[in-house]
Amino acid sequence: MIDWLAFVEVLIASLVGAAVVVSLYALGLRMLAVAGRTPYVPPVAFEEAITVLSPKQVKKEAKQVKKARKRNPYSPAVKRLALIAAYALFSLAGIVVLYGIYLIVPYFH
Amino acid sequence: MDLTLIVVLVIALALFFDFTNGFHDTANAMATPIATGALKPRTAVALAAVLNLVGAFLSTEVAQTISGGLIRGEGGAVAITPPLVLAGLVGAITWNLVTWLWGIPSSSSHALFGGLIGATIVGTWDVGSIDYSVLLGKIVLPALLSPVVAGLVAYCSTRLAYRITHRNDGLPDGRSGFRYAQIFSSSLVALSHGTNDAQKTMGVITLLLISADLQSAGHPGPQWWVILLCALAIATGTYTGGWRIIRTLGTGLTDVKPAQGFAAETSTAATILASSHLGFALSTTQVASGSVIGSGLGRSDTSVRWGTAGRIALGWLFTLPVAAVVGGATAVIARLGTAGLVIDLVIAVIVIVVVFRINARRRVMADHVAHAEAEVAETAALAIAIARLEPELEAAIEESIERDRAAQDGANRDSEAQEQRPAAGEEQR
Repeated sequence: MIDWLAFVEVLIASLVGAAVVVSLYALGLRMLAVAGRTPYVPPVAFEEAITVLSPKQVKKEAKQVKKARKRNPYSPAVKRLALIAAYALFSLAGIVVLYGIYLIVPYFH
Repeated sequence: MDLTLIVVLVIALALFFDFTNGFHDTANAMATPIATGALKPRTAVALAAVLNLVGAFLSTEVAQTISGGLIRGEGGAVAITPPLVLAGLVGAITWNLVTWLWGIPSSSSHALFGGLIGATIVGTWDVGSIDYSVLLGKIVLPALLSPVVAGLVAYCSTRLAYRITHRNDGLPDGRSGFRYAQIFSSSLVALSHGTNDAQKTMGVITLLLISADLQSAGHPGPQWWVILLCALAIATGTYTGGWRIIRTLGTGLTDVKPAQGFAAETSTAATILASSHLGFALSTTQVASGSVIGSGLGRSDTSVRWGTAGRIALGWLFTLPVAAVVGGATAVIARLGTAGLVIDLVIAVIVIVVVFRINARRRVMADHVAHAEAEVAETAALAIAIARLEPELEAAIEESIERDRAAQDGANRDSEAQEQRPAAGEEQR
């Protein structure tokens, strides 16, 4: 009496869940780039860090991102729209995550 | 031995297991954000600890699977007794500590189930005392399938993340922005770990209370103080953080980039949440490892170190049987009665102390070499001093006194040198 259907359910649910969240966030980043606000988040520095960038490298990368922001072909209207879309997408990703938490807490049911 | 005393001892041991579970599994949530530099290690483990604490209060579905299902007795009674729970816990703790020392992200849940299964089979002399269909359907199959499912999900998510953010013009793509997302996705993993793993110990303690007739078998849900203690134990363990395993998961399997780390963490969380919603007690560790491998495969510009992956898989293969054998052996000793229980406890304490000592010794690599050199120098100086003194010594008595004093000096120096070693207990960082 092995419940094979349950495994398939888990596979599909997690595939859809993860894909939706990742896509939403990635699209948000894409929209930020379109809006001319490509983010740059350097790795935090600490002892024994695994991803290590020297301050010089960080500066260089930040400069490249700044340059990319300026070389943006879109009109201001499109940029504004893209920015709104980006924030909407990030919020949506957050809501999906909250829904996932809602699902596993029996207290809410 | 008094039954209440045994129950208290076993609860203490169960909480210690919960603690090892916490520090063994910090890596599942926090290895990838630490690896990509999304979070500092201390911040990461503190965050994981808090979320584990919160998660432990959220759901008790898995706890009830353990206390209500796995081990069946005759006529509905529970076949397991407090000494058997103790034996099972010793098996689980031993395997957890040994794998931590090796830096292998092995499943704490399998260690626990293995220990309990071994102890029950030996303790009841009845191979039929385990419900094998529950074992197969709820533990073994999920264990085989969950890493594959998580890997597949992580592979697809990573492809998606890279495809969507890909730029044709070669300008910076803003993928470092995934670092912010990683903070949330790894938090979600920590939370789901709390909803899953803290409950395993809750289930065991509840099982114990039921077997000691302190709780009715009709209500397999954990009591509030059990939930509280388990939540605190796992949070403390998580905060202590198993750096060895973090390193294996964060750097050993594949080089993790922010986009990939986010995809892996989201997949881990999604898989765990989906399965705990359905009441599977699956291993967070195996899911997390599967996700990291899957996300590594999803990137075109990196490779997966299959040697490390194989070593980890080998560890998984041994987890349940070894814990079962240790649990069974402990149960055999426990059959001697009170003396057996005392022997078991002493063995457990010795194992714990030895593992932590080995850990402390490996920690001070650089210091250790310097220490050995100093020891050689000291011995040489002592030998020269004795050689100089010898001609002056006339009576044999005086000579022996001098030797004693010299030996004592040596001992003093040794103990001083030992005190100079950094305090044991912390891991190599």
